[in-house]
Amino acid sequence: MQTQWRAAALLSCLVCLVLGLAACGSSSDSGSKETGTGQNDFPPVNTAPDNSKKGGTLTVLAAGDVDYLDPGAGYYQFTYMVDFAVERTLVGWPPDEIDTPQPDLADGEPVVSDGGKTLTFKIKTDVKYSPPVNRAIKSADFKYAIERGLLPGVATGYLESYFGDLIGFGDAQAAVRKDRSSVPDISGITTPDDATLVLKFTKPVAATALQALSLPIGSPVPEEYAKQFDSQSPSTYGQNLVATGPYMIENNSAGKLTGYTPGKQIKLIRNPNWDASTDYRPAYVDKIDIQEGFSDTSSASRKILTGSDQVNGDFPPDPPVLKEATTQTPDQLMLAPQGGSRYISLNTTIPPFDDINVRKAVIAGSDRDALRLTRGGAIVGPIASHYIPPAVPGFEEAGGAVGPGYDFLANPKGDMALAAKYMKKAGYKSGKYEGNQTLLMVGDDSGVGRKTAEVALNSFEKLGFKVNFRPVTHDTMYTRFCNVPKSKTAICPNVGWIKDFNDGQTILDPTFNGQAIQPVNNSNWPELNDPKINSAIDKARLISDPNERAKAWGEIDRQISAQAPAIPWVWDYFPVIMSTDVVGVVNAFNGNIDLSYTSLKNP
Amino acid sequence: MRRYIARRILWGIALLFITSAVVFVIFFVFPTADPAALRAGRSATPEQIELIRKSLGLDQPIYVQFWYFMRDLVLHLDLGYSYQSNIDVSTLIIDRLPATIWLVTGASILWLAIGIPVGIIAALRPRSFLDRVTMVTTLTLISAPVFWLGLVALYLFSDDVGSLLPIFPGIGSYLDATTPLEKAGSMLLPWIVLASASAAIYARYMRSSLMDSMSEDYIRTARAKGLPEKTVVRRHGMRSAITPIVTLLGLDIGTLLAGNAILTETVFNIPGVGRLLASSIERSDLPVIQGLVLFGAFFIIVFNLIVDIAYAYLDPRVRYQ
Repeated sequence: MQTQWRAAALLSCLVCLVLGLAACGSSSDSGSKETGTGQNDFPPVNTAPDNSKKGGTLTVLAAGDVDYLDPGAGYYQFTYMVDFAVERTLVGWPPDEIDTPQPDLADGEPVVSDGGKTLTFKIKTDVKYSPPVNRAIKSADFKYAIERGLLPGVATGYLESYFGDLIGFGDAQAAVRKDRSSVPDISGITTPDDATLVLKFTKPVAATALQALSLPIGSPVPEEYAKQFDSQSPSTYGQNLVATGPYMIENNSAGKLTGYTPGKQIKLIRNPNWDASTDYRPAYVDKIDIQEGFSDTSSASRKILTGSDQVNGDFPPDPPVLKEATTQTPDQLMLAPQGGSRYISLNTTIPPFDDINVRKAVIAGSDRDALRLTRGGAIVGPIASHYIPPAVPGFEEAGGAVGPGYDFLANPKGDMALAAKYMKKAGYKSGKYEGNQTLLMVGDDSGVGRKTAEVALNSFEKLGFKVNFRPVTHDTMYTRFCNVPKSKTAICPNVGWIKDFNDGQTILDPTFNGQAIQPVNNSNWPELNDPKINSAIDKARLISDPNERAKAWGEIDRQISAQAPAIPWVWDYFPVIMSTDVVGVVNAFNGNIDLSYTSLKNP
Repeated sequence: MRRYIARRILWGIALLFITSAVVFVIFFVFPTADPAALRAGRSATPEQIELIRKSLGLDQPIYVQFWYFMRDLVLHLDLGYSYQSNIDVSTLIIDRLPATIWLVTGASILWLAIGIPVGIIAALRPRSFLDRVTMVTTLTLISAPVFWLGLVALYLFSDDVGSLLPIFPGIGSYLDATTPLEKAGSMLLPWIVLASASAAIYARYMRSSLMDSMSEDYIRTARAKGLPEKTVVRRHGMRSAITPIVTLLGLDIGTLLAGNAILTETVFNIPGVGRLLASSIERSDLPVIQGLVLFGAFFIIVFNLIVDIAYAYLDPRVRYQ
């Protein structure tokens, strides 16, 4: 009997051993060691090769979903990836363009006049909407697209930031407050004829608005078709979307999308009304199948690297898979700068962070290299030394990769001696925090965000701070704590900001302008309110000359860095991975795969 | 019997109401993300957010919001719109349901087909080598977390990332499947993974239940009457031993359909209700959470009722007044 028992136990152990080994074999390294040497080894390809072939189906794997398909509501890079294949905008971004948006639905360069207060577009009138609308676009469609953004059922988040100075904008807002379901008129937008669109502003901000029109808000919406959907709250136009781009989302004869199931799948097919002669996009593949829900990104990344016709959409590969990719499949990896930075914000209104020397001490003592390791090391981007990220005008002027030259930002691994020096300057004789204040830190409750928060916590504790770390979901962290000054959150370790377009204003204005502090949805997390910086921002907003703008925003970045409001720790790259038979092209503006330029080797 | 069923249905409706109220209270009491701020986007002004809050009805007191929700549900069977995708909740749930039904149906057939015979064999030959092997194996399978077991199965046997015997369709293959046969194929590995732990539990339950009933007096009487052992087991032992299994099955199917298959759905990327529930909780999408909880509670209540009715037919000693 005993022998039988032993045999059974042995058998079970063998089963466990086999299963255990299999599990171990699936991942060679679960640690977060530094991988690769950086972007130079895996540069993004921004142009399609001349021999790119037409045809085939490209599969995009995604962990999550787009936020909204409605171009008036979408505000997320993954959404833009889909939008830019489906919707053409007045001005757009060919994949190798990062400086100035190029005319797309605009017929030629738009004209900025009246000292930067007026923006005039001529529209291509030979571009047609996809079925069931089928008609040619006209200038009134762009006016309607902007105006509907004021409806709470559409709610374009960035509308006021870039179009708030349009003549009549305030009146239109007031009209919506009275009637939430009717699209208001913005008197500053006029359409003298079907091919002309004129935007008039109260201030010389036309150059900035021009760039903002490269975002999905700059795509036309046919009023006679969309009105029925916009009268509902929330608008259901996103479920009945019509396209002007080379691709459209599968729909039925009434226009209802059949190719979109939230969190599951988006099926793009060719838009039968698209005319290649009017567009710069080559649109190589016939179909694009966006499969969502791959929340186990490690398996999904391996599936892409070992499979065919696939690319990643919204998720970066896990650090171990990324490390493997750098050595085993380097040709299937590209690192695309995202145009954003991550930082740990220090609330400048909460003691002891109201003392600049304490903030400098915290930055000096923080191990930014360790913070970056939580996401995968050098391969995920260079260590940030200020706020405007590489490739955005103002980066070089702010100090470039080296940084503005402040001693507390000099050592990425942290300098405890310097930190102690600053703490002593702040009045703490021991070189560490000696007060009784317990600081509230609110960060991510899972994933790499949690790891980052824990490394940050360790860094604060080393300097003697008592920290109450409250882990919550990412959205809760923003909408209930970090974005709400009333919550008195002292440290937000998981915040970051990505450009809207290539301009320093989109990076620094919402995040460090004291006048931008608001009771909810506040993005100035450190609550920095320096009159000199605020005034410099006000002036820089109105500069039209690109070089002067870059200089001004670079200088503002230096001033902000000098105030030590946050610990900048990485300028993000997005690792694009693809199957061996995919010829991937990255859009430099969006920092992600360009669906209209990517092709298959064997379609 | 009819009165009993009517009473249970009334209780079920009351339970659905209470569940709904509890979800509402939990959502507003615990710190969750602000749906209006999420809907507005990161650059929106407080005025825009307030306008959205009004249009979503979130500016009303909780009890008013709850009243509107119940009113729309009762009068129009309307579960409202998702805050995040603007799509009506019923459509979202109905769209996700087939995948979960596929998963749960196949897995439950599999675990019953394995668990019950194994349990019977182990019960009829207690302490034999076979009994020992099956019980140790079942203990191992029960101890293995579904998430881990799923990943192991994928990395060994799936045709995309599998390395040992890549014969099963891999991650996300359900999304590509169009015919029932393809769907069944895509579900093979998830069925095996989901069924393994349950089969082990059912085998142990069956073993212990059958061992108990086989030691009852009426079994001794049946044997004394000279009935063949097969008949004794099948007609007398099994009939009473199966009732706890039926209870367990009803609860399991109800909870799995309600979203408890989330781990299996996540590992294999099956677009089912479990995954929808998880993403809705993460995004503080109250209408979807509310709809899914109600839907889940409905399934649990229905399957419990079915189990109770089945008792009366399985066990002659049970009669409802």
